[in-house]
Amino acid sequence: MTKELLTPKKLGTRIVSTLLVLMLTMFLCSMIGTEDVSLNAVFAEQTADKINIDYEIFVHIRLPRIILAAAIGAALACSGVILQALLRNPLADPYILGISSGAGLGAVIAILAGLSWDLWWGSPIAVFAFAGALATVWLVWGIGTLTGRSHITGLLLAGVVVNAFFSAVIMFLTSIARSKQIQMTIFWLMGNLNMAAMENYNVIWITIGTVVAGVIVLFYIGPQLNLLSLGTEDARTMGVNIARIQLIAFAVAALITAVAVSLSGLIGFVGLIVPHGVRLVFGPDHRQLIPISAITGAIFLVIADTLARIVVAPAQLPVGVITALVGGPFFLFLLVKYTRKVSWTGK
Amino acid sequence: MSIIEINNLSFAYEKSTVLSDLSFKVRQGSFLAIAGPNGAGKSTLLNLLCAVLKLDSGLINIDKQPIESYSTEALAKKIAVVRQEFVPVFGFNVIEMVLMARTPYYGRMGFQTKTDTQIVKNALKATDTEEFASRQLSQISGGERQRVFIARALAQDTPILLLDEPTSFLDLRHQVRVYDLLKKMQLEKGKTIVAITHDINLAAQYCDEVLLLSQDTDYHTGPAADVLSPENLEKVFSVKGFYGLVGKENFFLPLGKFAKDSSEKTS
Amino acid sequence: MNRWLVLSLAILCIIIIAVIVFSENSNQSPNTPNISDSPDRIVSMAPNLTEILFALGLEEKIVGVTTYSDYPPAAAEKPKMGTFWQPNIEAVVAAEPDMVITLTFQQQKNLAKRLKRINCDVLTVGIEKVSELFSAIESIGTATKTKIKADALVLDIKNKINDFSAKLPAGDKIRVLWVIQKEPLRVAGTDTFVNELITLAGGRNAIGNTIHQYPPIGTEELYSCAPDVIIEPAEEEQPLHIQQENALKYWSKFKNVPAVKKERIYVIDPGPVSRLGPRMPDAVRSIAECLRPELFKKND
Repeated sequence: MTKELLTPKKLGTRIVSTLLVLMLTMFLCSMIGTEDVSLNAVFAEQTADKINIDYEIFVHIRLPRIILAAAIGAALACSGVILQALLRNPLADPYILGISSGAGLGAVIAILAGLSWDLWWGSPIAVFAFAGALATVWLVWGIGTLTGRSHITGLLLAGVVVNAFFSAVIMFLTSIARSKQIQMTIFWLMGNLNMAAMENYNVIWITIGTVVAGVIVLFYIGPQLNLLSLGTEDARTMGVNIARIQLIAFAVAALITAVAVSLSGLIGFVGLIVPHGVRLVFGPDHRQLIPISAITGAIFLVIADTLARIVVAPAQLPVGVITALVGGPFFLFLLVKYTRKVSWTGK
Repeated sequence: MSIIEINNLSFAYEKSTVLSDLSFKVRQGSFLAIAGPNGAGKSTLLNLLCAVLKLDSGLINIDKQPIESYSTEALAKKIAVVRQEFVPVFGFNVIEMVLMARTPYYGRMGFQTKTDTQIVKNALKATDTEEFASRQLSQISGGERQRVFIARALAQDTPILLLDEPTSFLDLRHQVRVYDLLKKMQLEKGKTIVAITHDINLAAQYCDEVLLLSQDTDYHTGPAADVLSPENLEKVFSVKGFYGLVGKENFFLPLGKFAKDSSEKTS
Repeated sequence: MNRWLVLSLAILCIIIIAVIVFSENSNQSPNTPNISDSPDRIVSMAPNLTEILFALGLEEKIVGVTTYSDYPPAAAEKPKMGTFWQPNIEAVVAAEPDMVITLTFQQQKNLAKRLKRINCDVLTVGIEKVSELFSAIESIGTATKTKIKADALVLDIKNKINDFSAKLPAGDKIRVLWVIQKEPLRVAGTDTFVNELITLAGGRNAIGNTIHQYPPIGTEELYSCAPDVIIEPAEEEQPLHIQQENALKYWSKFKNVPAVKKERIYVIDPGPVSRLGPRMPDAVRSIAECLRPELFKKND
């Protein structure tokens, strides 16, 4: 019976294999696009007076976009795992505690203000969206703790209320915006990697670094999250400092989500269904769930974005459309196939 | 040496005082039963003892140190708790559930060692739950689940065990097995057992001391024979019945108006 | 616990150092050959910009347009670069342009940086008002070394408008309602270029100042603003005369609106009036034909 237990070796093998799948996916998707790019041409000698267009497209347009898709997918999926664990609710996604409406409000304000600057830390929309997301999370956390310590229901309700209120403000601002601004808002809200890949490299690197660091920190509190799923009383008597773990988990998850959302807008589905998919196949142990969800989320979004790029070429679909259309049926298939293995409730 | 020491403990929920000025000691390696009617404060006391609740006034010392001075991880290595209610979880199986008790002892990477798995195996064996180690928690009966949680508390390997009605869902065979197991832990491993129980007769047979709480903030402590006397039981539980002796210990069968032998009441 | 934080902080620091190091390198373009004085390969990112480029005689030099660049018909033959809202950057780069002309948008600075790497300049213009149209044409002229043609184009447009204004009778302006959507009812407000066109054509917007650029209005406002003429830009699919019939049928239920009583409902070709570009005089003319059909016959 101990054969079934998770060991470092088993986990290591699974992580390495999924990472390999990710690398392969990223490589294959980098070969796909509206323009034909041949690898030979990319790595050809850089001559003094001719610019290598294949190189430019491959290295400076496609690759940043694919890498960003991987980082954002990882952030959203991992964050979904955390929120589902913290709120003990299988319907939780990374946006449930206000990040979506906060980021959206920030973005809309930036769009309406018509800002345009050239700072190394990102375009106006990204910066405002990031600030909006974090400010809203802080607000929701504050309201939630007012209702009592470790009070999950309070947090959920605060999130719902804040989301509703800010969404209403967004709707109002959008209705009075100029038509161009309305278009920009709509595309941002649908979730889009097109313009994100144009950001400064600094921004892209910071995003990747934050997401990787965040996932590692969350991995280390995996055992505590397992205990947390038993209920706060049992978790406490088995050694978990509830307040501290909740704060760390929530703060880190919020940070990586805010970073992701500020670049890509609101890409849905990834944070909700990737954790469930991974849980259905690999089980609920967070030491496994966290890293593998992150990697799977990355794979999922890279593929979705590639489809978004080519399906209606030369036009581009918002990637949020693909994640919803692809994610739904796939999850249904997983649910039917593996549902005997896992049960949702105790009774 | 008192491993648990309570002095002048008071606690109130909102406006109703549940415990007032409670003082007693639990000797290391003893078996204490906590009994009393519903609402007397038994579960409250249990939650105070494992730091889930914070006391209003008074003092609780665990192993000679105030309970507030323990971090949650340090306290988890001193006290293990078995509760009544089961929170639905996302799908761990029995052995994974019992293994979770070893979390405070995990290495830096957060994984179990061979010692941990051995302790878990022993705990499963002791509670007679080995045969469904690989099954989902939702697929076993309530009684089997209760034994799994006792196994988990054993795996936590603590000097003190707190249990909230550990035999409430168990059949007779397993009730006795659990009490035998707890007694064995006490005698062979020197563990201190504190168990809330409704079964005062089993408590009398297995426990060294009894703490009888009543619905006002009054209480009695002492050996079972003294505390579980007819007068106390009638006063605290407002019930009459048949009193007898089993060896040196009291035995009490509550008899209501419509019980077959209601005429046999001795009090 | 502390160990984990140290570990992640270490990783974060490494990443940040990499950022700084990388950003030093990535700012250098591979090589910098001389950019020829006038751009030879131009990409236009908006339909009205395409029209301007064609009007400046730059057809041969255009190597990419957006999907909706449909005028003049030759523009539709050019390689497509996505839409203004969702540009296909790969296609833009693959076309190896040395100049990209676009309307103002939020992330333009990022796009400009990327294009600089392939020695492509980016010219951004704003064309929200008629005055901005003129300065945009001049900027484009300067950038594409066609200043003379650009000035001529601007002059030509201005002259046509002036000739026009001269023919307009003095006196009350005709009240116009410009309907862009019927269900729910949405009209062009005073803060739009359409409004300017209406004014130039000798009319005035029946709607007063509103907070919305394209306000949704209710039946009450419809009656109170009492337009003399209702103009609807046509939709792509159906033939114009069918749309005209449908429009008349739809508006007939608002019996007491002056425009409906006099049956002055017009569905017009959307091309010139949907974007602010060199066809502006045609747009003004088509509006004037609706307002004063007696003055401006279609063959004038």
